[in-house]
Amino acid sequence: MLTSREIIETLKTKFDKQILKAEEKVSNQVFVAIVPDVLIPVICFLNQSFSPRFLINAGTDVVQQDGKYKASYIFSFDSEKIFLCIQVAVDSTDPNIDSITPIIAGANWSERETRDLVGINLRNHPDQRRLVLADDWPQGLHPLRKDFPYDYKPPPEPQNKVLLKKRPEGTKVIPIGPFYPVLEEPAYFKLFVDGETIVDCDYRGFYSHRGIEKIAESKLTYNQVCFIAERICGICGFIHSTCYCEAVERAAGIEAPLRARYIRTIMLELERVHSHLLWLGIAAHIIGFDTLLMQSWRIREPVMWLCEKISGNRKTYGMNLIGGVRRDIPAEIHDEIVRVIEKIERETVEVIDAVVGDTSLHARLKNVGILTEEVARSICTVGPTVRGSGISIDSRIDHPYAAYELVDFEVAVETGCDIWARALVRLKETIESIKIVKQCLLKMPDGSIMGEVMEEIPPGREAICCVEAPRGEAVHYVQTGPDNRPYRWKVRAPTYPNLQCVPYIIKGERIADVPIIIGSLDPCYSCTERMAVVDVKTGEEKIYTKEEVMKR
Amino acid sequence: MFISKLKQALICLKAGRVTLPYPYKPSPPPEGFRGKLKVDIDKCVGCAGCANVCPPGAIEVIDFDTGWRRMQFHLTRCISCGRCEEVCPEKAVTLTDQFELSTNTKEDLTVAIEVYMDTCQRCARCFKPQHPLDKMMVTGFRK
Repeated sequence: MLTSREIIETLKTKFDKQILKAEEKVSNQVFVAIVPDVLIPVICFLNQSFSPRFLINAGTDVVQQDGKYKASYIFSFDSEKIFLCIQVAVDSTDPNIDSITPIIAGANWSERETRDLVGINLRNHPDQRRLVLADDWPQGLHPLRKDFPYDYKPPPEPQNKVLLKKRPEGTKVIPIGPFYPVLEEPAYFKLFVDGETIVDCDYRGFYSHRGIEKIAESKLTYNQVCFIAERICGICGFIHSTCYCEAVERAAGIEAPLRARYIRTIMLELERVHSHLLWLGIAAHIIGFDTLLMQSWRIREPVMWLCEKISGNRKTYGMNLIGGVRRDIPAEIHDEIVRVIEKIERETVEVIDAVVGDTSLHARLKNVGILTEEVARSICTVGPTVRGSGISIDSRIDHPYAAYELVDFEVAVETGCDIWARALVRLKETIESIKIVKQCLLKMPDGSIMGEVMEEIPPGREAICCVEAPRGEAVHYVQTGPDNRPYRWKVRAPTYPNLQCVPYIIKGERIADVPIIIGSLDPCYSCTERMAVVDVKTGEEKIYTKEEVMKR
Repeated sequence: MFISKLKQALICLKAGRVTLPYPYKPSPPPEGFRGKLKVDIDKCVGCAGCANVCPPGAIEVIDFDTGWRRMQFHLTRCISCGRCEEVCPEKAVTLTDQFELSTNTKEDLTVAIEVYMDTCQRCARCFKPQHPLDKMMVTGFRK
């Protein structure tokens, strides 16, 4: 099996002097600094010889230190449990870099985000439109640069509006969004249809970009970031705070006590149980099967009460801090936890038994929204979405965190590639999660729940952490900094890569199936302020601004 | 198909009525619930440790002069994380089980206390009196 040392050796023998620095900063995390000219050859070489999975691209402004912008391309060697971070420093006077999207299609959004926020321009990128920045954000202003104050509100420049693709000849436009009708969240899909069949689509999102990374880097302290991290997602918040805490702990070399790791695992799995039951209800609601919505949410409710009892709140548990957790799970409530989750297990099995043979569900969900293995691999899709296509990626196994090394469970994989397969994966995972919680309660040792945390976390250290959220894998990259706060904190939520495969899976499908296809990814966006109107007579499109909407 | 539908109907029948009668009957939260915060003015020494750790910055510290500090807790910003309760050396801040916070006036959700403090002879800033009795000696102390 490939080791970190071997990866460094292979790269060093192949590229020799062009590798500026290669070291294993954290166990199983290799950081390699290279000269910008060999970025494309190195990525090509890696792709051909090891085919690692691309995770994210994080841009960092290090102009104050050495006058450069740094782009970090993070890859995962899943079976070897290794992270590889290729770092390129570009001069701040000429911030241009070759795009890797022609080689790895999944890097598309990630690279555009780095260009928008840090201002590293991309050569040969197939899509030069802005992604994250708002339509009226001024040209040439990059919010994640260190000289940009976190509370500065630039004057709007409406002429920078992102133009969506023109409709192909012979098609009509169907807008879905910007307020997504079934998931009640903002995302705008512009569908090009020929009759009932979808020919192509374009996407504009990021309407609710909140600049969480910026505020964490400029205002909050390490322990305050845990709470804002938890608010990245309303459903899988604990995952993000765990991921952030583990990344900082790895970077600083802090060891969380075993009991705290078990408690994290229990909370993560309870979160997965309620998230999957929530998804089951929403998916059933989308296809008009509201009985299942009512029943799956009824089954889910006791988990919320259980979490409220353990943590003091239904959803935002607020349990994580750097070095451990804040609340213990006392022995007195172990019995109650087991009683509640066993009831959920029984009821979930009943529901599964009642729906798997339902032919009306098969008619809606089987052979719809096909995500082939090739597309899934090239877009670097994650989570149940990809496990429904026969690819066994699960960061609980691939990059163990919390106490997952110490518990036994199976990764649910289906080969159907359709919505039905993704639903089955989620249902099986619910049952597996309950098993994990039970194991943790039995294995959990006594002891403290908060580890030794040093007075000051040394600056300049880096680490990566992956956590398997119910929707897929969340990735956090942390670079520690002075003043008791991270210098760079990069978050990639699981929906980020998953949404990029929407154009592939809705191509050739019918309009009526689009809501459930998008819903089958379990997407998670967040609020909007605009609406799109298509004039039926002329086929012209107009996007109304907030002011115009208010006027009407 | 038919058997599936029967099974589904059975699940619904077995479930019965599950909604709670709230708000017609009170629905008390479990023990350890993190609700609206409460400050005990007699215990607070004005150290501002809570303001330091508060993640959303909901606690405002205003020093009127060298011996008079005002602590404002903006519950509209509060996320009920309970960090203030955790770090308070005097156990002056506690989270209650109150969660019904809706109001027509925003000012209802600001709790302000004024603490009389000693003045540092060097930097002339506020600091905690050494002994509770010393507090009474401070100018402007009121009961």
